Amino acid sequence: MVQFSEEKLAKVKELIERYPEGKQKSALLPLLHLAQDSFGGWLSSDTMDYVASLLSIEPIEVYEVATFYSMYNTKPIGKYMFEVCQTGPCMLNGSDNIIEYISKTLGIKPGETTSDGLFTLKTVECLGACGYAPLMQLGKHYREHLTKEKVDEIIAECRNTAAANN
Amino acid sequence: MGRKLLLEKAHVPGIRSYEVYRREGGYASVEKALKTMSPEAIVEEVKKSGLRGRGGAGFPAGMKWSFIAKPEGVPRHLVCNADESEPGTFKDRYLMEFIPHLLIEGLIVASYALGSHATYIYIRGEYAWIPDILEQAINEAKANGFLGKNILGTGFDCEIYVHRGAGAYICGEETALIESLEGKRGNPRIKPPFPAIKGAWGRPTVVNNVETLASVVPIINIGGDEYSSIGVGKSTGTKLISACGNINKPGVYEIDMTISVEEFLYSDEYCGGIPNGKKLKACIPGGSSVPILPANLLLKTAKGETRYMNYESLSDGGFATGSMMGSGGFIVLDEDQCIVRNTYSLARFYRHESCGQCSPCREGTGWMEKLLYRLEKGEGKTSDIDLLWDIQSKIEGNTICPLGDAAAWPVAAAIRHFRDEFEWHVTHAAEAQTRNFGLAHYADPIHVPTV
Repeated sequence: MVQFSEEKLAKVKELIERYPEGKQKSALLPLLHLAQDSFGGWLSSDTMDYVASLLSIEPIEVYEVATFYSMYNTKPIGKYMFEVCQTGPCMLNGSDNIIEYISKTLGIKPGETTSDGLFTLKTVECLGACGYAPLMQLGKHYREHLTKEKVDEIIAECRNTAAANN
Repeated sequence: MGRKLLLEKAHVPGIRSYEVYRREGGYASVEKALKTMSPEAIVEEVKKSGLRGRGGAGFPAGMKWSFIAKPEGVPRHLVCNADESEPGTFKDRYLMEFIPHLLIEGLIVASYALGSHATYIYIRGEYAWIPDILEQAINEAKANGFLGKNILGTGFDCEIYVHRGAGAYICGEETALIESLEGKRGNPRIKPPFPAIKGAWGRPTVVNNVETLASVVPIINIGGDEYSSIGVGKSTGTKLISACGNINKPGVYEIDMTISVEEFLYSDEYCGGIPNGKKLKACIPGGSSVPILPANLLLKTAKGETRYMNYESLSDGGFATGSMMGSGGFIVLDEDQCIVRNTYSLARFYRHESCGQCSPCREGTGWMEKLLYRLEKGEGKTSDIDLLWDIQSKIEGNTICPLGDAAAWPVAAAIRHFRDEFEWHVTHAAEAQTRNFGLAHYADPIHVPTV
């Protein structure tokens, strides 16, 4: 059973109050972001049921939304998810090579997670930063103008951070 | 150097903060509008300015505002569309990230004009760091009396909330955006009723793009007449263009809409030409949905006249020989790029982003992607090209929202202008895996830039 901390429950209340009274379902997308960030980077059915209870809506209303939007993960992911853009302008700037290089370096195909649970590789559609291509999303931020060398640095940086936190 | 109305101050150090923004003349439009103008007068001013929606459709903003219904006792809402997701477009991100107070200022004036006491910024989920920037700007504006209760003592109350999406191109369509704001899947609604009559929570709602709302600030400051004197014809004011692809200087540029495409592409003030001495093959001038143009039709219209960076000139010739201004996403392809591959990449995007509500789009986008994949991999047949043409023609105009059109147009334009390249992928399947088709006659005569 999952449960938000007191501090996060206060945030939930604040989020719900942004919308008209009785329209608390409007806070569903923000709450799912909060839940995903709080409970391991993905939305289990327990987590989704919990969000439904916070908004007094049916669990199915949460499931149908969670499965529609590409940023909600309905399966566990690695500690670091490389979301590499592959759409038109990124492709013109060599995103296919970057995806292939990450795939080879980490030994995983797009959609897979390394066996140590550290990295997930995901191809995504347009991140809206086409002038800084090729790029990926890593957590909250973008890593732009990617090259093979930069990818190596990012992988090393993630490994070091993970090791330091253990 | 054209006049700058939006990004003029974007490079002032510290402009992200309220103090610097205010010192540079920020929030003057709020003072002028709330203290000296009626909401109706603001709508009139925006109408006079000729401002067209900057999200892609180019619908006159003042007209859209004047449609808002005002039933007794029913709250109205302004929603800012910051779901910027059209491939090639990244101008709104720039504006929000570097000069966030400009958007907040425009939102306050527009909220007053429309009578919105609760205004929402719907921002795409991937721009995960920008809500913090916007919320800080909102808090600063509030602390200085420009938001909240009784703004500047005028009795007008307004709150602005940031609502983060979660990865869905379709939510840039205004009714899908409203569904998403209500906590649902982003399935577009059938219109009518239009949002101006029945939008968010069944209330009258206006949805405008980030750049459109930011443009309200200079319109109020300099007046609608002066704003409309910048530019040409129905392309008034300035426009943000995000340039990308094979150019020397990708980035966001504010242009007044009197410069030629050639100047924009080749001059050092803007894109700075194409890297490594390569030649121009093609360009998608207004975001991935608009028709791609071969080099010879990009720089000159079919009549041989210079093509300019404005709504009218970019669409000169219709879809047969022209394109569209769209969202201002300017994507350049050099001689090494493959049209089939590029079209496949865009088709994959639209298949991924189709909400699945209308069968022509749901089935058609997947079918087009598969055919283009086959052609790209050298496994296609000549009849596949005709089949692609047939499918796109049956998606266009047959769906609830414009995503169907947006998916059909790039495929149609690619076949219209580059059919011989598609055919070459069939007749020279093995060779197509090892090299690109090249320039062929598309850029004939080979263009030598004069700027």
